[in-house]
Amino acid sequence: MPPGDLAAALAGLSIPTNENVLVGLGTADDAGVYRISADLALIQTVDFFTPIVDDPYDFGRIAAANALSDVYAMGGVPKTAMNLVAFPLASMDPQILRDILAGGISILEESGTVLLGGHSVEDDELKYGLSVTGFVHPDKILANQGLMPGDRLILTKPLGTGVMNTAVKAGLASDKQIVSITALMAALNRDAAAVMTRFPITACTDITGFGLLGHLAEMVVGTRVGVTIFSDRVPLISGALDFAGMGLVPGGAFRNRKFRESMVAMDADLNPALRDLLFDPQTSGGLLMGCPKKRSQELVDALGAQGIADAAVIGEVTDRRRGMITII
Amino acid sequence: MTTEINALGLSCPQPVLKTKQAVEQTHPAQLTVRVDNEAAVENVSRFLGTRGYDTAASGQGDDFTIKAVFTQSSADTREKTKKTGSALDVAGVNAPDIPQKILVFIATDRMGFGDDELGKKLMISFINTLGEMGDDLWRLVFVNNGVKLTITDSPVLQILTEYEKKGLSILVCGTCLSHFDLLEAKQVGQTTNMLDIVTAMQLSQKVIQL
Repeated sequence: MPPGDLAAALAGLSIPTNENVLVGLGTADDAGVYRISADLALIQTVDFFTPIVDDPYDFGRIAAANALSDVYAMGGVPKTAMNLVAFPLASMDPQILRDILAGGISILEESGTVLLGGHSVEDDELKYGLSVTGFVHPDKILANQGLMPGDRLILTKPLGTGVMNTAVKAGLASDKQIVSITALMAALNRDAAAVMTRFPITACTDITGFGLLGHLAEMVVGTRVGVTIFSDRVPLISGALDFAGMGLVPGGAFRNRKFRESMVAMDADLNPALRDLLFDPQTSGGLLMGCPKKRSQELVDALGAQGIADAAVIGEVTDRRRGMITII
Repeated sequence: MTTEINALGLSCPQPVLKTKQAVEQTHPAQLTVRVDNEAAVENVSRFLGTRGYDTAASGQGDDFTIKAVFTQSSADTREKTKKTGSALDVAGVNAPDIPQKILVFIATDRMGFGDDELGKKLMISFINTLGEMGDDLWRLVFVNNGVKLTITDSPVLQILTEYEKKGLSILVCGTCLSHFDLLEAKQVGQTTNMLDIVTAMQLSQKVIQL
């Protein structure tokens, strides 16, 4: 759902909690965390959506990578998963479903997660996703809030899957571009998460439907820090800027901007196509993390050594303009 | 006459595609597009901007109208100014002062075969001299290896940029840029697709192929 509508629906709901809820609904984090014992907490998350690529197997892979990502973004390790399926039995060959599930399982295997079961309903529109459970040490949880002044912000995947998927729908993306964004969306955030454990990461989230600036807004809203984004250093998918420039921007990017524009200060000269990419909803996007300045280059190098070549420092955290995002 | 496009009820990217189709097929001087959401207003306006239209949007809720007037595109500026100045054109007579529409199709970064080093020099000289065609030179299309003339370290980048500033339309094949992984490196011209190239060939009066 669009961010504003979701907030409106949740407003005023009283949600019971207890002292073992370490991360709940309050901070709009990636996943919930529940303490089981002094050295073990459970991470739970769920995500499903309608197909974003034509190939069922690829769709399954992307949906699984996307669902697992929330566990990695919390600093945890995924352990078990359950499938969620809505399938139009009357109009679609069950083989398609089998291919989707096979794609999902392949990514679960890659991540070392076991599938325990699932639930399916008949629906007019195909949807697939997973509920994932992971483990984390209660002291090692990476919440989305916690950035400190002086931190650098590091992003691990280039932006633009929303724009590129719109270009695919429009029949304007090349086969090579389709192959490359499919690989990008199906790429697990596992290796990036593993690198993170070796660094003093202050906060982390994964970039999905609200776009870079939407998720970044959740990291700073109500905090005592502000962030500056270096727009020329944000990694972009090759071709995305051109497609955004010709008007292939998904409606979600527009809604994300409307919802968060009061928190974002940007230069009037900023290329509108680039601005839209900063709000572009991502499918299975990268991790966005804060790291003290003096370790930040080492972190980027370590990510690069793991094959995460797009990882880059894209901004810095300050104690000025608190709760605001400034784009330069 | 104003071309009207009804894109109400269409989801992204259909409004842009419908507008694109109309612009490419009929080149309307005036265009009205109706859409039902603000994102489509921005997308369609942005697309029309890239095609030389001035746009103004009005409306609210779920009914918006974008009015677009063709003012200039890099492609057709000079043609248009000439036409407005000439009484003969109004009558539709093919007067001698109307420029031809010559399309130069460049599929290589060197001229001719034999010696590649010489070929590259000749290409630089050719592009530098193309300006001598004056107003008859209507459009440059770069495909295949030719797209390498439009990127950052191209020896003819400066002159191409000058041509473009003066209103010459330069089209660069997007599939080719993508093939060579040069989408980001392209510095001049408009990234385009095969439909645009075919349409341009059809509209031109003479195609010179290199």
